[in-house]
Amino acid sequence: MTGPKRSRLAPWLLLTPAQILAVVFFGVPALYMARMSVNAHAPQSYFTPGFTFENYARLTHDPVIAGAIWNTIWLALIGSAVTIVLAYGFALIVWLKPARWRLWFIGLALLPLLISEIAIIFGWWMVFPRNGLLSVALMSSGLITDKISLTYTEGAALVGQVYITLPYCFFILLSVFDGLDRRVLEAALDLSAPPLTTLYEVLLPQTRAGLLAAFAQAFIWTMGTYATPMALGPDTLWTLGFLIQAQMLGKHHWPMAAALSMVLVVGVALVVLLTRWLQLQQRSFHV
Amino acid sequence: MSDALRAPRIGPRLLRAIAAVFTLSLVAYILIPVLVTLAMSFSGAAQLRFPIRSWSLGWYAEFAASPQWTGALINSLIIATGTAVMSSVAGVAAAYAYTRYTLRFSTLLYVLLMLPLFMPGIVLGLGVALTFSRFSIGGYSLLGSHLLVMIAHSLWAMPLVFLLMEAVFRMIDRRVIEAAQDLGCPPLRTFFEIEVPMISTGLISSLLFAFVISLNEFVMVLFLTDRDTQTLPVLMWLGLRSAATPQIAVASVVISLSVFACLSLIMVWYVRQLRKITR
Repeated sequence: MTGPKRSRLAPWLLLTPAQILAVVFFGVPALYMARMSVNAHAPQSYFTPGFTFENYARLTHDPVIAGAIWNTIWLALIGSAVTIVLAYGFALIVWLKPARWRLWFIGLALLPLLISEIAIIFGWWMVFPRNGLLSVALMSSGLITDKISLTYTEGAALVGQVYITLPYCFFILLSVFDGLDRRVLEAALDLSAPPLTTLYEVLLPQTRAGLLAAFAQAFIWTMGTYATPMALGPDTLWTLGFLIQAQMLGKHHWPMAAALSMVLVVGVALVVLLTRWLQLQQRSFHV
Repeated sequence: MSDALRAPRIGPRLLRAIAAVFTLSLVAYILIPVLVTLAMSFSGAAQLRFPIRSWSLGWYAEFAASPQWTGALINSLIIATGTAVMSSVAGVAAAYAYTRYTLRFSTLLYVLLMLPLFMPGIVLGLGVALTFSRFSIGGYSLLGSHLLVMIAHSLWAMPLVFLLMEAVFRMIDRRVIEAAQDLGCPPLRTFFEIEVPMISTGLISSLLFAFVISLNEFVMVLFLTDRDTQTLPVLMWLGLRSAATPQIAVASVVISLSVFACLSLIMVWYVRQLRKITR
């Protein structure tokens, strides 16, 4: 009698810690954040209970916030595009190289994944200033005559951001390539197809789903970031993440921070759903 | 005719050259920040500038002697250990239940457990900070405590442990366990004496991956810690924003070495297990 009853209860007991974590510390905060985002704000307190869409109205009225949303999307688009191109090339090369090279390349690709984001930022931070590695190296090689500084430029922010997203995309794409038959390449070459044609007509169609997944991964990751553009980019390169922490830690405007977070969550959700939809479209198209 | 013959000969060579240049640039790209940091940590200068003219271990000595930096390192280790234990217990138990029993709403459960993994750290950190900022347990404020950071980090670490262990549990040969049960071994004993040795590599990997995630994370920590509980990455970030010295490079090296130590542990364990099987 107790046997079957216990076995019905046992899985839920085992699931309890994980569910508490997900519900109490993710679900509840998510709901609380949604509620907080429609609270009002008074100068001397973190928030005043109420019900107003003022914070959301500011998304469109406030040029700083609208600009930050635009920056976030722009950075995520360019960053993901650059990441995808590099990761695709890298994964393709690793796929084609003999197996003995493989472990070294995988170890190399793991490196940015294992290093803390802050250590990556700091590493690049030492490369770009007037007395940084890049400027000094270019000077001593005679390519430039005056020291140059590239810190606090969009380019520097992009270099740091791509570094962080590169390994994720690389591993997604490598696993996609591993699923392909290498003989299709040989067949294309045997038929004397030029490399670019092979890329467009043979490789890209077969890896489209993986490309989509990798792009979405990079896009979502870049959307949520703020430390890299803040530390390496120009003062004007404010992202949603930057505004969230500024509202929370600097201005103590909790409802506004919550509203901006909601925007970020909706953005992530939209990208996930769009990717999902595109993948389904493709599958039905192929069959 | 001659064109058709020449094209494939020049094509591959040019292609190979492009591939070589691309690969070398990428290798350089990945290694530059690592090598720059490593070199700078041995600088004897007071500022971050190139070329490095004097080399010394001075900044390492300073790191070891500074209560602020060592305190931050200890905080990092405490939080990472707590996260590893917490997310492994929750993740392993959940993965076990998920693979061993047929559950109602299993898709919904899966989505619920995976969802935090897709959320940006800043959103998770903000949510937890907003919700639990005014909670206290017996006069002990939750915000700024190690516990709350461990929980927040587990939101990322637990789904990863779950994914990993789900795969591990599915790979186990069920017949061995059934054999043990047929011989009258009670469930708990079967688990600890038969299954745990079979999944030990997965367990060790889970613990150490969770540890590494927590060690490296710094956006949530920024929201959830105060001066007394701030971790190494937070201190590095604050240093970067105010006066950056080679001290931060030393901190980078220290934190990266801890990560690589964890990875080596997994490798050593894995090789040991492989030897056991082949013996």
